[in-house]
Amino acid sequence: MHETEQHDLSDDADYAASQHQESTSNLSCDSGQATDPTESEVVYSKENVAIHPSQYASERISGRLRIVKQGSSSFLSWIPYKAASNAADSLGRSLNSSVSDKDINLYTIKAVSLSDICSIRRHIPTLGWQYIIVVLSSGLAYPPLFFYNGGVREFLATLRHHVFIVRSADDTNVFLLNDFQDPLQKSLSSLELPGVIPVAKGASLHNSSDPGSSIVDSVRVNSVTSSGTSSVSGYRGRLKQKSHDPAHDLSIQVLEKFSLVTKFAREATSQIIREFQDTHELLYEKKQKNSAALPSVTISQPDVKPNGTQRKEDLVETPDMLEFDKPSLVWGKQRQPPLTHEEWETLVDSEGRVMDSKDLRKRIFYGGVEHNLRKEVWKFLLGFYEYDSTYAEREYLESMRKSEYETIKSQWKSISEVQAKRFTKFRERRGLIEKDVVRTDRSIPYYEGDDNLHVTALHDILLTYSFYNFDLGYCQGMSDLLSPILFVMRDESEAFWSFVALMERLGPNFNRDQNGMHSQLFALSKLVELLDHPLHNYFRQADCLNYFFCFRWILIQFKREFEYDKVMHLWEVLWTHYLSEHFHLYICVAVLKRHRMKIMGEQMDFDTLLKFINELSGEINLDAVLRDAEALCVCAGESGAACIPPGTPPSLPLDLDAGLYAQQDDEVL
Amino acid sequence: MSYAYLFKYIIIGDTGVGKSCLLLQFTDKRFQPVHDLTIGVEFGARMITIDNKPIKLQIWDTAGQESFRSITRSYYRGAAGALLVYDITRRETFNHLASWLEDARQHANANMTIMLIGNKCDLAHRRAVSTEEGQQFAKEHGLIFMEASAKTAQNVEEAFINTAATIYKKIQDGVFDVSNESYGIKVGYGGIPGPAGGRDGSSSQAGGCCS
Repeated sequence: MHETEQHDLSDDADYAASQHQESTSNLSCDSGQATDPTESEVVYSKENVAIHPSQYASERISGRLRIVKQGSSSFLSWIPYKAASNAADSLGRSLNSSVSDKDINLYTIKAVSLSDICSIRRHIPTLGWQYIIVVLSSGLAYPPLFFYNGGVREFLATLRHHVFIVRSADDTNVFLLNDFQDPLQKSLSSLELPGVIPVAKGASLHNSSDPGSSIVDSVRVNSVTSSGTSSVSGYRGRLKQKSHDPAHDLSIQVLEKFSLVTKFAREATSQIIREFQDTHELLYEKKQKNSAALPSVTISQPDVKPNGTQRKEDLVETPDMLEFDKPSLVWGKQRQPPLTHEEWETLVDSEGRVMDSKDLRKRIFYGGVEHNLRKEVWKFLLGFYEYDSTYAEREYLESMRKSEYETIKSQWKSISEVQAKRFTKFRERRGLIEKDVVRTDRSIPYYEGDDNLHVTALHDILLTYSFYNFDLGYCQGMSDLLSPILFVMRDESEAFWSFVALMERLGPNFNRDQNGMHSQLFALSKLVELLDHPLHNYFRQADCLNYFFCFRWILIQFKREFEYDKVMHLWEVLWTHYLSEHFHLYICVAVLKRHRMKIMGEQMDFDTLLKFINELSGEINLDAVLRDAEALCVCAGESGAACIPPGTPPSLPLDLDAGLYAQQDDEVL
Repeated sequence: MSYAYLFKYIIIGDTGVGKSCLLLQFTDKRFQPVHDLTIGVEFGARMITIDNKPIKLQIWDTAGQESFRSITRSYYRGAAGALLVYDITRRETFNHLASWLEDARQHANANMTIMLIGNKCDLAHRRAVSTEEGQQFAKEHGLIFMEASAKTAQNVEEAFINTAATIYKKIQDGVFDVSNESYGIKVGYGGIPGPAGGRDGSSSQAGGCCS
């Protein structure tokens, strides 16, 4: 079957972003450079392969999955159908129109070379939809692709003809591509015989140090050169259609500035590092003198209160291309003192209902909560309490939950040693938890000393949770998340249910296939691309686009990066979901931006960067970073939100009924 | 501090076998039974001397839990040495060695030197894996082997230093191209390998003093 991508694109041109067209059409039309322009064969095509952008099963973007062979290389693409056909499902019901063009663009998988794919994990549940997760050599993973009409096996069978595939020894549902461990394959590939797909060493999303052929090369080069400008113009085009929102205009200008910054930053990096190191005060004064060249974000935030040290205009000022490079500047609003008991009393009515939950969340976002008030307020933030519940309702809920907790706890408590002997999974889980709780925050007085009852409580809660959510079980990192919660609640049952509420959102961080982590790292890479293009380019060039160096930050919400009381403060700010559910990602960007000159100036490679980021632990100024992140979040506006695929943790998971944690044919601990 | 070479090490093995304790014993010469479990990776470093040359060991201490393997695999890149650790009192940690080894072989460079360590040998009364079994496994897979105790410090120095000596010998034998950093070796300013070694002694000492 011969069919060109160009033909296919006429179908999609309505919504495909310019870069998609550009790179995809290069695939077939770059006849000037291609060695073999005539061959472009669709070797596999599957309709109704969909991505779920949100937790609603009804909201999905359907498209066509293809493998296209060109010369000696093959490419995988997933192109969504045009918006109109996505607005109705297979039964003709009209669907929620919130699946917007931007979502569709975000998910489009441009022609990705099969040699850039590291592995494919398949999920073939007996009930429910089959899907695959494609992981690139760079470590990035695409969101799950659901095969609505089945056919994952057929897809893999076809793939097998075009790329070297082996089944992972660790996990029968994982297929490794380009894994030339077999010496025969290795020597075959070194001979570069036709039909043998070359292994791309250290390949990343856009470029590879070892391109397989000149076709691949030209496609990649083109996508690299175009991405800088076309992504900006793509956002501009989209934004211009919207109504006049100052924040949008601002975003446009910021984006334009960022595109200018690229060249500048490269040339000036080393020089600036020399000149501006340790001159924080000096820089700050300079900034104060500079008048804002662009409108201030405060326009969209009429409620910004002026404070003693800064004029209103300076609170959130549009970063000028020079300004944003300076590590010492603080952008967001001045932080407020924590919410007090007296203030809290004024926010609830006589029966205990929170009168304005948004107002409360905003108050906490900017100031946090006094420690002795945390026990009560955290339960609202985590979702254990409803904001509009009364004192009486909450008391009732607590008592119900208490007995429920005891019931679940008794399930493992009643397992005798004889029974445990024949229950390996239980023994393994219990063993892991036992080992980990004695290695969790033991330097905090609450958990220190031998035979500490609070350590026992950590153990019991975690083991009970692993029965409450048996599919997810226990994973390292959970004890880090539980520790401050128990410390605040000082009650086993309350801590358990608060932890359960937190895990509703953060559970995917601990999924065995790491999909929750990958989707956040993916979103982070998109955000950095938007908010700091030069840094993004640097990471790409340094083969650091997998963002693994931010792994610990995201997995346990910066728990290891700050002192205990700061962690509690940060968490309550994050849990407000006030500006964004994904504020933690903006914090990542803020921290990276503060050190961007050092990272780029010293040309850090993956190892050096990982070590550097690790050693930032204890060195990050929380208040400053929160303010930076706030400003970045406001600046990024909708473009920022569009970088984060809906359903990315800590958003509620995609489809609660689909059994997200269900592990097919897996050994789960 | 200046060095003739920098070697990257990675410590791998099941959770709770004592990877972090071995590192701490080696870098700080102390045993800390109460420490936080490792999430992701932690780093340590120490200078040693081999053949009168200052060598810096940069050690990556990784998280052991199965779930993090996909992340851990990205740390192998460019490691010159690996300490593969099991706990002599827990049989399952020994049983998992093959899968760790497979990971190491697959994701590290082929010339990486691997030292197998049976840790917690101070707990002889709870031993579940015999010394002979450890030796046998090492022999079958071409590893160096030692039993050690992070608690008593027995063989900890030796494990790290013997690994370095093996790597050093490979450099002398020309197994590595030291200018290629993917082997996990960096050449420092304190010494020049090969025939130019004549000026090593004085320059490395001078380098050591001034930093």
